[in-house]
Amino acid sequence: MSTSTRTQVRSPQGDVPRRRTGRRRGWAAVVAYVVTALLILPMLWVVVLSFQTNENILRDPLNLTELNLANYQVATQTLNLMLMYKNTFILASVSVVVGVVFAYMAAYALTRMEWTRVWLRNGLRFYLLAGLAIPVYILLFPVYRLNIELGLFGTYWALILPYIAAQLPFNVLLFTGFLADFPVEVEEAAVIDGARLRTLAWRIVFPLMRPVVATLLIFNIIYVWNEYPFAVTLINDPTMTTISLGVAQFQGFWSVDYGAMMASATLVLLPQLLLYAVFQRHVVAGMTFGAVKG
Amino acid sequence: MRWLSRPWQLAGMVLPALIIYSLYFTYPVVYSVLQSFTDAKAFGSSTLVGAENYVSMIDDPLFWSSLRNTAIILVISLCLLLPGAFGLALLLGRRIRGAGVLRAMVFAPNVVAPILIGLIWVFILDPHLGLLNELLRLVGVAEPPEWIGGTTLSPYSIGSVYVWQTVGFIMTIFYAGLKMLPGDVMEAAELDGAAGLKRLRYVTVPMLRETIGITTVLVITGSFKIFELVVQLTGGGPVHLSETLVSYTYHVTFGLQNYGYGMALAVITSVLGVSVALGYLAFLRRKATAA
Repeated sequence: MSTSTRTQVRSPQGDVPRRRTGRRRGWAAVVAYVVTALLILPMLWVVVLSFQTNENILRDPLNLTELNLANYQVATQTLNLMLMYKNTFILASVSVVVGVVFAYMAAYALTRMEWTRVWLRNGLRFYLLAGLAIPVYILLFPVYRLNIELGLFGTYWALILPYIAAQLPFNVLLFTGFLADFPVEVEEAAVIDGARLRTLAWRIVFPLMRPVVATLLIFNIIYVWNEYPFAVTLINDPTMTTISLGVAQFQGFWSVDYGAMMASATLVLLPQLLLYAVFQRHVVAGMTFGAVKG
Repeated sequence: MRWLSRPWQLAGMVLPALIIYSLYFTYPVVYSVLQSFTDAKAFGSSTLVGAENYVSMIDDPLFWSSLRNTAIILVISLCLLLPGAFGLALLLGRRIRGAGVLRAMVFAPNVVAPILIGLIWVFILDPHLGLLNELLRLVGVAEPPEWIGGTTLSPYSIGSVYVWQTVGFIMTIFYAGLKMLPGDVMEAAELDGAAGLKRLRYVTVPMLRETIGITTVLVITGSFKIFELVVQLTGGGPVHLSETLVSYTYHVTFGLQNYGYGMALAVITSVLGVSVALGYLAFLRRKATAA
């Protein structure tokens, strides 16, 4: 090391800047690695704790010599994780598919179809997008009452309908953004060939929206997967527990067995991260589009 | 495409979304606002009480402490999250081996349910069994601070966890903004001798004004919305002194079943969040036209 530094000092002038940028880039890389490691450490910590005995967590959590799988046995035997996954899966699949289809239909009508009353179209577009500015917390209690009045309380629809409504402004925003930039010639050619609305919207334009649809599907799935405020307000049937409701109960459920709590947390955490690892391109692309265009 | 504009066809396309949205979004908002002017409790009948709910907020010490906690979280987010995310975007935008993987990793906490994030951080911040105090004791701090559960540090801890969770999200937006900057302008600036910090200050930051506006609005509205972290980290305690506006609204509405007052709190929280964000945007715009 020391000899190479010395030769660098003695080397001809023209060589110095290049070496310097090379060294600075190396320094940036080290900082980047360290910062990223520190940022993901909290999540790793849970995984580490999940392999420790409860006494160890209470007495000496940094002692990593005795690791075992016992917590996972306890966690899988006591908690009905499969039920939480099943419920969340049902909620996510219905609300996401219906939500994306309805949002696409509205966005198609608002951007691609001719309106005799332009003010009506603009008004509707503004109306559907205005929801972006309103926090969902104001909806919790009225929706709770609405569900009871409509007789939906205790059914999956009690969550599916508000999930669709809450995601609609973002979905419409993304679809209208892409549809507005979409060339009209394809549809014109199809119209000359005698295509009707259903063919145009679903067989010609929708397949071309595949990247947007993928992004929205993933985004909506993440939303339903993580949603807590609606679930905690609108569900009181233990057989309808969702994943985030289950996580909220871990603390009460395992009030003494921290090892089992961490094992349960890991069992929820890892599938989420795995799913993200597979689809992260779409997640990041959709996020930046929504943010930059919005 | 005139033939497409038959009213029943338009209606068929727009109505499904419109009905669900109106029923589950607009109607609840209107209902909340109306309810906030009544003395509604549980499921009994209610009478109009005018602005009484709004007036009683003035005498409610828990409203003020919730407002204070929300403000602390907001300030922490603005001071740490925006510069931190911007710095990270600059750092991870460099040509570093594996930068793409690093960006994906920094973003990962955003995919994890906030309620799970809260649980994870309990095991780091808990005064007795948390990692942080364990490390502090290891380096000789006899009585490490009470990060959560106490009255003084809780909002700061909640704010910091929020910063940790969201930094990858904001970083990604900054990163996209940086990528969209025209390369020739940056090169010209470099040739004119504006490198390093100088270029950052006089070229990069002014050109990113739009992106900075978007991220700030997201951070402001996001700080007002924190709910799961409060539930998991402190449960609002002790004696509701670490509640934020949203968690206090939830407590009043569903815990105390004081719906009229709860809805008034919800309305005030929403109005505050939206107006701070809009106010900031207007401020940015005026600055832009003045410059």
